[in-house]
Order: sequence, then structure tokens, then C-alpha cells
Amino acid sequence: MQKAFLVDGSICLGCNTCAMACKNQYHQDKGILWRKVREIGAEEYHIDNNNILPTLVSYQKAPKAEMPMERFYFSLACNHCENPACVAICPVGAHTKDPETGICKHDQTICIGCGGCVKACPFGASKFNEKMGQAEKCSMCWERQADGKTTACVQSCPVGAIAIIDLHDPKYKEYANAAPIGIDYAINAETKPSTRFIHPSMPKEVYRLPKG
Amino acid sequence: MSYSKENVESIVNNGISRRSFLKGLAASGVLSSFPGGILQANEDLNTKIPYLGEKSYQTFRNACPRNCYDTCSIKTYVKDGVMQFIEGATESTYTRGGCCVKGNSYVKRVYSARRLKFPMMQVGGKGSGNWKRISWDQAMDIIAKKLLEMKKEDGTLLGAALTKYSGNFGITHYGIEGMFNSIGYTTRLAGTPCWPAGIDAQNLDMGDMWCNDPEEMKDSKFIILWGVNPASNSVHSMKYIYEAKKKGAKVVVIDPVFTEAASKASQYIQIKTGTDGLLALGMAKIIIDANLHDQKWLDANSKGYKEYKAYLDKEIKLDNVSKITGIPLAMIKELALSFAKAKPATIWMGYGMQRHTNGGSMIRAIDAFVAVSGNIGKYAGGARYGHLSTWGFNYAALSQPKPEGSVGYTGPEGAKGEFAQVGGEKAAYTDRFLNINKTARELINAKEPKVRLLWVACKNVFAQDFDRNQLIRAFQQLDLVVVADQFFNETAKWADIVLPVATQFEEYDVNVSYWHYWLTLNEQAIKPLFEVKSDLEIAAMLSKRMNQLQPGSCTFPQSVDTKAMMVKEFNPGIYEQFGIKSWEELKNGPVKAKAVIPYADGKFKTPSGKFEFYSDKALELFGSALPTYLEVRKPYDKFRMTSPHSRWSLHSQFQNLEWMEDVHPEPYVYINPEDAEAKMVKEGDTVAVFNKQGLLRLKAKLTDNVQAGTVLMYEQWYNNNIYNVNELVDDTSSDMGAFKTGAPGVALHDTFVNFRKL
Repeated sequence: MQKAFLVDGSICLGCNTCAMACKNQYHQDKGILWRKVREIGAEEYHIDNNNILPTLVSYQKAPKAEMPMERFYFSLACNHCENPACVAICPVGAHTKDPETGICKHDQTICIGCGGCVKACPFGASKFNEKMGQAEKCSMCWERQADGKTTACVQSCPVGAIAIIDLHDPKYKEYANAAPIGIDYAINAETKPSTRFIHPSMPKEVYRLPKG
Repeated sequence: MSYSKENVESIVNNGISRRSFLKGLAASGVLSSFPGGILQANEDLNTKIPYLGEKSYQTFRNACPRNCYDTCSIKTYVKDGVMQFIEGATESTYTRGGCCVKGNSYVKRVYSARRLKFPMMQVGGKGSGNWKRISWDQAMDIIAKKLLEMKKEDGTLLGAALTKYSGNFGITHYGIEGMFNSIGYTTRLAGTPCWPAGIDAQNLDMGDMWCNDPEEMKDSKFIILWGVNPASNSVHSMKYIYEAKKKGAKVVVIDPVFTEAASKASQYIQIKTGTDGLLALGMAKIIIDANLHDQKWLDANSKGYKEYKAYLDKEIKLDNVSKITGIPLAMIKELALSFAKAKPATIWMGYGMQRHTNGGSMIRAIDAFVAVSGNIGKYAGGARYGHLSTWGFNYAALSQPKPEGSVGYTGPEGAKGEFAQVGGEKAAYTDRFLNINKTARELINAKEPKVRLLWVACKNVFAQDFDRNQLIRAFQQLDLVVVADQFFNETAKWADIVLPVATQFEEYDVNVSYWHYWLTLNEQAIKPLFEVKSDLEIAAMLSKRMNQLQPGSCTFPQSVDTKAMMVKEFNPGIYEQFGIKSWEELKNGPVKAKAVIPYADGKFKTPSGKFEFYSDKALELFGSALPTYLEVRKPYDKFRMTSPHSRWSLHSQFQNLEWMEDVHPEPYVYINPEDAEAKMVKEGDTVAVFNKQGLLRLKAKLTDNVQAGTVLMYEQWYNNNIYNVNELVDDTSSDMGAFKTGAPGVALHDTFVNFRKL
């Protein structure tokens, strides 16, 4: 099994409820968001100097998109990669990949704050908490899931724009798209991110007043 | 001592930093016995808290009491007396398990270091920034003595004014008005800045403001979102709109702005601002000419259709409609005809549309179009605006008798606002009503007696009212300004006494919505933090002190339990409507009112009992019996400014919270690239936006989401930013509002500005 987020940009309102629901559940410090709602077309594509793993620097950037400002979004947290860089680099085993669910978990009681995961992750999913001197990230609410609930983000989304799917389930195998448009994202990264995307489009008919 | 931010903050924080406070507590061993202490905003302490399993928490029922369509039903998870997190109630099919971005910030709101913690007094005078902490007893003593002194000098208490609006729409919060009722005849800032022109329009047409259940929209075949942006301001409604769209319904957004909702619609039609009424009249003419109107329904259920049709025939020229609205005629025809052919079809009208000098007339024109198409009184149809049909509580907290021998105002009586119009016996005296939408000038101009004391509750006057310079003058000439709030906002800065108020998690209440049909219990989930008190407790303390000083001077109960007061608000009518036997059933979750289709029985509460195209009342009050085309306010500066609600805030609430700053840190002015080019403004430039009212400095974003000739800024209050869009808005009235809410609304979207690069 590989649990994965399926984010539906065609219905996402960009309301940030998911990001705030994550804060509501875990109380991330000011300045830290485990889940971030990213605006399509708004990001500058940058050369990523974060990545220290030589095997992973060859990833490609996602295709650009021209969309109206502040209207189309993808909500992103940890991609729960099939081949996670955080797990590979963590010297103390604070990052683990759950063999059953495929969730990449981070255990703060073990973390020594070396910051390796923060640098290794091609997606910036691991955040460094300066005050704690430790890393932290989305662990797909595995405690909630184990308790029979869904994740905070999925439960709170008012339109169901985030779902959790099993990438290994044949029904989802080729589901949606692994490459988002219009956001700075390492497509084809060798970590094999599990997040899948449904792309948005403009309304079929758009009438704007003529110029002048 | 002069004003300094650090000074204020140090007093707000009780003179010691949060960190040393907690350290001290930990050292003394009281931390564990200090409810809420652990979750204080010490940012060193509160990163990831694990989810411990459903059974590890105590859960409570809460409601989001803000001025919002969605009025969410909340489930609060508490451990060791501390709120851990909240969820939306899964029992409500409307909230469906999730609050919005604002609701999800509640834990931070309750435990924010920025919360007001103690009563404070501004000893250096208003705006001096020279504050000192006082006790509740001292605060009540000062206020009570002032009230009694005024009564003695003036012979009445009309010098005491209350301004309270939508900060908390819980039913027991009408106890604030109750507190003012209980001291005698006083002065009230009456009316509503929100939606009054539309309320009047719907009442003139249908005798009520009453909308279909929003959950029905999933079965609508054609939906027009007309000047409304639920993708930003009623996110829980979007799932029904999506479902309808998925089932094949066409969703059309008509709006001057390419909104978030427009981006998710089937069709977006941009319209010239303030011409929506004309478009609706044109659309009605088109379907009547095509014989697609519902003649049978009109014959049975309407009054004045003939006169209305004659007006359309004579005055409405389709070429003109196209020219004035800016929309091609073929598109208007297609829109009108496909709406008329789809059954059921519905229109949802936003509140922004009626915040114009012709706002009420536009709502009337759209109501008429929906009526002509035969979609009034139909499941999944309707001309949707809002409703108060589930608000039939006792208003026990509100209904306090006047002390014996009270003397009041003998001038003409005004209405009291849109909610809770509780009937009473005709008294010899009344309260004095001032127009809330002209707060500054009304406070300054009130005479005999002049206003000397102002109590502000559930309201941030400096963020929401208009004409800041006049407001400062108005506040400065008052003897005593009392502000009851949760945060140290701009209004608090101009107060004499600031009182810290409880959040809904620290008191009992009950809530319903003006949009959906759910009823939600609000339980006290945690002990009140610091020295905060509920508005009801504050009223009780004031009553106690007044009665000590002068027995019989205040009728409000001298001690009050918010739970007991909440229980008193229920009555058999509420139980019947919601199909419950007791309020205690609400502990199991929110319940929904029994389904009713508004006007399905053809009974309207108009004088004729029918849908009134022709309204004698409208003729009497507003000079036009028919829904006619009224031109919008003429520009008085180069660009129109529109100031819609942001999704990050509910008026001046939420954007100030630390967590909200993480997802939306600063305000922008949105400018069409064409206008920006003419002014040599580039993306990210700081610009000054100014008019005869004031000037704001902020960064520009360039986008054709706004049409050329218009700039857009959201209405918000930031903790560390002086930005306030209402500083550019004057207090010009909209056409309607005086009929049902006591005062006309404000044409705040008819504001004009200029801008330049700094």
C-alpha cells in the first residue's frame, strides 16, 4: 500500500482551510506550515540549492501555467514519497516509512535536529523549527487514521478537494497526474512523490468587459 | 507617558513576558493546575501536539457565532481543561465535519498572547496609550457612577449610547441590549451596515426575507450567483453548487470582479458595477417577449404584473441594457432564455450588490425576474438573499424591563435592527435611535441630551464604521467610552475603559444562521481565561454595582449563569420547528429545521398577500412602486473602489491572529494592468490610494480579476498594520433600509479613489 494525497485543483477554492486545520490539530509555531496552499502561476521558478543528495539534483521543474491571479491552487504537504530522501538521510531513524501504509512519519522524540531532512527533501516538506532545534513535518495524521478518522486536512476541506488514495490499488494506479502545472515542483524526482493532481481549467465561457 | 506600542503590549501582557510567566508558574508548580496555561502562545512550547485518540478528550458542542452565512456547528476537543483542537460537527450536513480557515484558527484565538486579559483604563486620556490595569470592581464602579450621575443631571439616561453589532450573533448576546434596556431609556446606534437595502427590497416584494434551504441547490438546474462569492465567504455552500454542476446544471456568476466563485463556474459574465438591476429588467423583458414567463403563477400569486410589464415595454430598451451593462445583447438573451427554460432555477444575490445608492432597487429587479420565471415558491428555486425564519427565540436576555419611573425619548420611534424585533407594549417613552451607518456624525450631532457615555460591544467601530477623522472627534468629545472586546484593536485604543470578553468556548449560548437551517448549542468548553467575563456577566456586575449605589436603578439580574440564560431562550415554537423535545437533545449534535419551501403555498406577507411587483409601500417610502432602473452614484474621483470581504477574516476578526498571518500576512490593492500602466505602477510597488476621506499606503498586485477603472481592497483588521479600507469610505446612504431596519444602509461600494506610485 502507498497512501497518497490526491489534490483536485479543479474544485480547490484556495481557502487554506486545510493548512489551518493542520495548525489546529498540531499547533505548528508561527511561521511554520506543514501544509501549504500554493497558487498556480504565482511562483518564481528557482534553482534549488536545498538538495544535498547528488542523486536527486536532476529533477525537472513542473510546466508553467498562465492563470488568473489568486484563483487556482494546489494544496501540498509532505508527498510521502515511495523512496523518501528524509528516511534515507536521517541518522537516528526519526524518519521512518510505514511498511504497511507507506506513510512517511517523523518522530520528534527521536529527532536530534541535524537538519539533514530539511536539506534533502526536494519539496521542502520537512521544516526546521528554530526554537525547538528540531525538524517537523506532516505525518499524514497517522494517529488519527489509526483511530478510524481521516486526516485533519481531508476532513476539513469544505469541497472535498483533498482525498487519500492508495497508489498501489489498481483502481488508482494511473490515477490523475504526478506532475502539477504552474507551481515550483520537482517532477520526476527520484524520491517518487506519491501526491497526485487533478488539473484545473478556466470556466468554459468567460466574458470580460471590453477595454477602454 | 506617551503612546508606544511596547508600553501597550507590556500592559496587555501583564508586564511580564509570556515566557517568564510560564517559567514562574512551572517553578511554583501551579502550571498543571492552571487551565489553558500550557497552550499559551509561548512559541517555544507548543509545536506538534500528538493526536491521542478520540477517547482521550472531553468533547463539547460549540457554534461559530460570527456574522457569516455558514454559522458552523463545532465539536471542541478538550484535555485537562485545555482546548486541544476543534472539528466541524459531522451531524450537520451543512458544516459536514469541517470549519473554514477562520474557524480552524479558534484555538489560537482563545490562547493568543494578544488577547485582552484584564480590565484596563486609559489614564492619560483617549489615544494617549497610557494604560493601567484596574479591577472589575473599579471598572464597574466608574461606569455605574457615571451612569447615575448622568441620570441625575439630565433627568434621563439618553446620554448613554450603545453600539453593538455582529461580533457575536449568539442569541444570549442580545443581553447586551438587555443591559441597556435594564437601566432605562438610552440611545442606540440602530440599523445595519450589512444588508438593509436588500432586506427592504425583499420585504416590499414578498413581505419577508426568506430563502430556500441552501442544501437544495444541489438539485437546481440553473444557478446564477449574482454578486455573491461563496467560494470565499460561504465555503460550505460550494459543495451543493458543485454537485448541481456535476449533475449538469449551469452555474453562472455575474459580478464586476472575476471572483473565486467565478473561477469555478460554468460561465462568468463581467458587468459594469451598479447596472445589475437594469440587466435583470432586460432579462425579464426577454423572457416575457419569448412567452417563457410563468403566466399561470403570476396570475395566481402576484400583484401589479400588468404595470410592471407596461414599464418594461415602455422604458426598457434592450440595446440600451446591453450598452449600459456592457454585456452583448446575444449573451443577455441566451442567459435569460436558458434560465427560464431550466426548472428549477435559482438566483443567489450577494450583499455587496445592495451596498450601492441603488442597491435596494437592484435586489427588487432581480426578485421580479425570478418571479416572472416562475421560480418563487419552488424546491431548489427561489430568489435567495437570507432569512430569519429560525430566529424565533424568546430573547430573554434582551427583554429586561425599564426601572420604575424611567424617562426617555418622546420623538418618533425607530426600528431596532434586523434581528430580534421583539414586540412590546407601546410605551410613553422610547429609546433614542441614531443611524449606525453614520455613527461619527450622529454621536457628534446628538443633542438634548448630548451623548456622554458610549458602550461598544461585539463591534470594532474604528474598523467598521466610516469617516475616521470624525470618529476620533466623536470619541474625544465623549466623557466615557467603554469597549468590551477580546483584542486590543483600534477602537480599544480610543477607549477610556477596556473590558476583556469571553470567547464562545468560555460561555453558553445558542446559534442559528441567516442562511442555512441548522440549530446549534454552544456549551462552555473551558473555564474563562485570565479575568475575562461573558457579556452577560459584565451586565450582571454592572447591575450589582448600580443597585448598590442606587437601589432599583438597574433591572438586570445581579448574577447570571450563561447556561441558565441560554435555556431561557428556548420555547415550544423552536422545539416544534426543529423537531426536538428539549434543548438537551442538542448535546448530541446540531439539528435542522423541518423542511419548508418558502412561499410554496402562495402566501406572501405583503399587504396584498401576493408577490408585489407594484408596492404601495415602496411608492410611499422610496418613490417608486415598481422595481425600476435607478442609476448608481456618480463618480467623485478617478477610480471606483470595491472593498469586499476577505476569506481570511470576518470583518475585523481573525486576520489579526498569529496563525492567520502565516497564511495571509499583508494587504494588497488589486489594480487592473491597464490602469497600472497608465500610472506606471508595477507589481509589488507601494502605492498610495487616496480620496477626500483619507489615504492608505500598501503594495499593489496587478490583475484583470478587477475591471479597468476599479481598484479592489479587502476589508480587514491586521494586528500590526494600520491598514483599514473603511478609512476611504464615506457614509453615503444606499436607497433602502429604513423600512425594516431603522436606517438606510451604506453605499460603501460607491466609493471612489485615486492612486499613485510612492
